[in-house]
Amino acid sequence: MPKIIIDASTKGLNLNLKELYAYKDLLFTLAYRDLRVRYAQTVLGFLWAGLQPLATLVIFTLVFGRVAKVDTGSIPYPLFALAGMSAWTYFAFVMNQAGTSVIGARGMITKIYFPRLIIPLSKSIVGLVDFFVTFSFLLILMTYYGIWPTVNVVFFPFFLFLSLLSGLTVGIWLSALTVRFRDFQHIVSYISQLGIYLTPIAYPASLVPDHLRVLFFLNPMAGVIEGFRWSLIGTEAPDPLMFLSAGLMVVLFITGLYYFRKTEKTMADIV
Amino acid sequence: MSDIAVKIENLSKLYHIGEAASGSLAETISGKFKKVFRTTARQNDPTEFWALKDVSFEIKRGEVVGVIGKNGAGKSTLLKILSRITEPTTGKIEINGRVGSLLEVGTGFHPELTGRENIYLNGAILGMARAEIKSKFDEIVDFSGIEKFIDTPVKRYSSGMYVRLAFSVAAHLEPEILIIDEVLAVGDAEFQKKSLGKMQDVAGHGRTVIFVSHNMSAVKKLCSKGIVLINGSLSYAGTSEEAANYYFSNNNALHLVSIKNRKDIKGDQSILVENIEILNNRNNPVGELIVGESCKIKFSFSLREEIQMEKLFFAIQIYDINEKLQTTIASDELGINFPDLAKNGQFVIEIDRLNLRAGDYYINYMISKKVSNATPHVIINHLQHAKAFHVMTSDFYNSGVLLRSAGYLQDARIYTER
Repeated sequence: MPKIIIDASTKGLNLNLKELYAYKDLLFTLAYRDLRVRYAQTVLGFLWAGLQPLATLVIFTLVFGRVAKVDTGSIPYPLFALAGMSAWTYFAFVMNQAGTSVIGARGMITKIYFPRLIIPLSKSIVGLVDFFVTFSFLLILMTYYGIWPTVNVVFFPFFLFLSLLSGLTVGIWLSALTVRFRDFQHIVSYISQLGIYLTPIAYPASLVPDHLRVLFFLNPMAGVIEGFRWSLIGTEAPDPLMFLSAGLMVVLFITGLYYFRKTEKTMADIV
Repeated sequence: MSDIAVKIENLSKLYHIGEAASGSLAETISGKFKKVFRTTARQNDPTEFWALKDVSFEIKRGEVVGVIGKNGAGKSTLLKILSRITEPTTGKIEINGRVGSLLEVGTGFHPELTGRENIYLNGAILGMARAEIKSKFDEIVDFSGIEKFIDTPVKRYSSGMYVRLAFSVAAHLEPEILIIDEVLAVGDAEFQKKSLGKMQDVAGHGRTVIFVSHNMSAVKKLCSKGIVLINGSLSYAGTSEEAANYYFSNNNALHLVSIKNRKDIKGDQSILVENIEILNNRNNPVGELIVGESCKIKFSFSLREEIQMEKLFFAIQIYDINEKLQTTIASDELGINFPDLAKNGQFVIEIDRLNLRAGDYYINYMISKKVSNATPHVIINHLQHAKAFHVMTSDFYNSGVLLRSAGYLQDARIYTER
């Protein structure tokens, strides 16, 4: 029989990962709900998940590939851009959805208890499905151009994980902040709109002038996207500067969890 | 295993009301500045509200406890803290066992999902593991009675089917501690009946129930213990009967200022009304009555000079909160004369069955000389809004349905003819 003690005088914060694990079924059920609901009563279903990045890809290919003639070495431009896009789309999805998820789940939060972290976390699973749709387009394109990954492909899961971590970190921070300050609701869309140009998706990071590189690689997705391409289609290896932002993400992720926990105490009162 | 189900120590909950609670970033920052520059700490900050203050009590395993209090007394806040939706500002709670509440019926239900999917979703939100839902799935569907539509999206359900399915999931959670907020259930008789039925069922199995209600007769009938919350503080804890009585006699909010301090009394006041009391069926002075129960209204008076008794007229009028006259009780209509008044006596109006539905009412009274039917009364003592009282609903006809509020309770029967 569970024994619960709530003591307002205890100052320390407990992440209570054990409880989070006990609610793992809810995590998957919520993700399942999101997936089922999103494409309910549509004919194309999950194809919609891939169509949006494809549309952006067409624009990028015309603007950066044909007009601006960005140099992508031996890699055909569409493949180059799509590889970056797939990682970015996943990051942006998790950040966006997780960031607004807590406000969206208001009805549940004010009525019943469960570890609130489940809500933003479930979005990272939902995003994976979208990611694999885009990713299969990428595989098709790779086959078409006859470009195969090198042995570096073993590092691919690491970069995918980093992209998940970055999305969740930003998402968890934003979701907790949005509960208190609705201002952050608007910030989310700025990040995803500006981020797509500040991140080396449409162009290689080598185009960035040396004196801006440190600043450029503070963006965690800069390293992730360079890494994606390096491990999949054999472009240049990412700048070691990326470990700076990767380390920063780990720190921000853990502090984000604690901040979320802190907000959780009064979430139902102010959401 | 301890025999304590819930232990609450010095529980308080502070709410910040107004804009500052969830305003924008700019407001919070400017608020912080104001705090810095405010030299003296402000007492009684108007934006602060203590929904609960220093509440302590224990609930033993298997007890059925009624929580009584007016709207805003802190009942909902207490429930929210017990069901862990929000955390207390100060104090400590110990809960032994899984808490389930019937306030969350249908939480997380998604209209696009089928009944089957919603059972799993809702169950998971309520804290059931997938395996647990799976094992109870057939039972849940049976109880809801919607087998045929289990694979239809719930957006195509009628509202009745929707509630049945939602309730069915919640009812199969089998918590060790069940919380029921009856206030939320009002308006859906079917659901209310089911809730109460489920509650008796749960209590019968030796589990703990915390029941929040406005319905005193239900509290008395279903609960063994009762606690009374007044303005966020625990005011009384005892048996449910004692708690309900305590609540009745202390609910003075509707009482107006003492009649002695009233400046708007009309007439020469040769008969001085010193006090008005409303007594319930146990002869306790109260501010609240129950639909259908007997009651008395007592006017204590003293005579300041001799008056002609045979022409004396005494009447009250009962108005509702919207200043609408509900009824008149008059001595001449009842054929009552007052041949002999004591120097210090009482006019007593005895009502066998209060035919007013739930709501707030007030009384005007009139003591006058009625010279003839054609001439106006000579007013001795007349006061409007002399006394207020509240009528609470009850299951008057024992149908399991609480009487709806407002208006007059007309005796009637309904049957069919062919």
